[in-house]
Amino acid sequence: MAGVYTVKQVNSYIKNMFKQDFVLNSVSIKGEISNCKYHSSGHIYFTLKDNDAILSVIMFSSQAAKLGFKLTDGMAVVANGRIDVYDAAGKYQLYANTITKEGIGDLYKKYEELKNTYEEMGYFVKEYKRPIPKITKRLGIVTSKTGAAVQDIINISTRRNPYIQLILYPALVQGEQAKYSVAKGIATLDEYGLDCIIVGRGGGSIEDLWAFNEPEVIEAIFNAKTPIISAVGHETDFTIADFVSDLRAPTPSAAAELAVCNMDDLFNAIEDYRNRLFRAVNLCINFKRDQIERYKLRLDYLNPVNQVYEKRQRLMNIEDKLAMLMKNEIVRYRNRLNLNISRLDGVSPLKKLNQGFGFIEDMDNNHIVEVGQLNIGQDVITYLKDGSYKSKITEINYGKDIRG
Amino acid sequence: MAKTLEDNFERLEEIIKTMEKGNASLDESFKMFQEGMKLVESCNSSLDKVEKQIIVLGNNGEQEDEWF
Repeated sequence: MAGVYTVKQVNSYIKNMFKQDFVLNSVSIKGEISNCKYHSSGHIYFTLKDNDAILSVIMFSSQAAKLGFKLTDGMAVVANGRIDVYDAAGKYQLYANTITKEGIGDLYKKYEELKNTYEEMGYFVKEYKRPIPKITKRLGIVTSKTGAAVQDIINISTRRNPYIQLILYPALVQGEQAKYSVAKGIATLDEYGLDCIIVGRGGGSIEDLWAFNEPEVIEAIFNAKTPIISAVGHETDFTIADFVSDLRAPTPSAAAELAVCNMDDLFNAIEDYRNRLFRAVNLCINFKRDQIERYKLRLDYLNPVNQVYEKRQRLMNIEDKLAMLMKNEIVRYRNRLNLNISRLDGVSPLKKLNQGFGFIEDMDNNHIVEVGQLNIGQDVITYLKDGSYKSKITEINYGKDIRG
Repeated sequence: MAKTLEDNFERLEEIIKTMEKGNASLDESFKMFQEGMKLVESCNSSLDKVEKQIIVLGNNGEQEDEWF
């Protein structure tokens, strides 16, 4: 014997060979999980199997913590990691870094491809979206006749509008035939001339919802003349039907809320219009009434009677002024007169009479101022302060002053 | 095509806004008021107030049955 080795030496040797192998250091293996055990330390132990073989797998707690889902027996997965030898047990096993659900992975890829295809074809553009009518009187529903979705839609629709006409096309929403059934339901209801159609189903796995990613359904939604609301699964579930439909509702209940307007709101709106109309017409009337009032005021102001009043007033003013002027004039004349009177008074012969002088006239009332006017035997009248006397001229002396 | 409830609502909105501006003649205002009231009545009567049963279609699209 060339040499004898210990078990440990052999296992170490094998371990080293594994370590040097490029492929074994990072390999993805698909299979079904069985015998899965979550250890209290956080590590996960399970066996990966297919029809012909099994492989032990360990996922350490540090990696297991990043796993987004719980591993269960029977789950089809792809595990990636390195294959190493556990030399103490003489076993090789997969030390998994990441594990993905195989089905989901494939379907998700397909979903992305389909979504891109239809997006490029312009199926999602806004220009193709038909508006959802505000007031729906006839609503079509394409969904399973059994299940919560249809009940939710019926309950919410009839609660919001008890008078709505619902037309249900009971479709298969799951399985191989679902895509044909849903597509046919859409096409059938589209012929009914409805206001709106809800297409959907309740929540489920991506496989369950898959019919709503199928070209048959996409085409049916895209080609329908009736506005379509998609309502597939839960808020977080997206299908291509959601993108191609005219409106996406997060759930079937929400779809009913979006499709059916609240009847009470509608009645209130009509009542509101009626009230507003009355208010508006009253407003118009009052406005015109105010306008009339304003015109009346302006007309009153322009009334010719006012002009007469005005003219009369002016006339009265002028009259007053004239009277005043006249009065002033009279006073002025009176003053002048008084002045003249006193001047006259100053030169009055009567005044001289008062002082003892006499005023002599002949019988013909000629004023005698010099003796030359006199003749012997002539009669004259002498006026004194208190009367007059008649006398006869007996003697005439020239050139002699009365004081002699 | 018959006017839908929404068309009527839109027209009502238009009428009321015009009237509220207050620069229409009284005659026009009354005409608009009349039209508006007619629309309100027609809105009211166009709302079919009959509770309906749900129609369920068969596979060939024909009416199968009715249930609540």
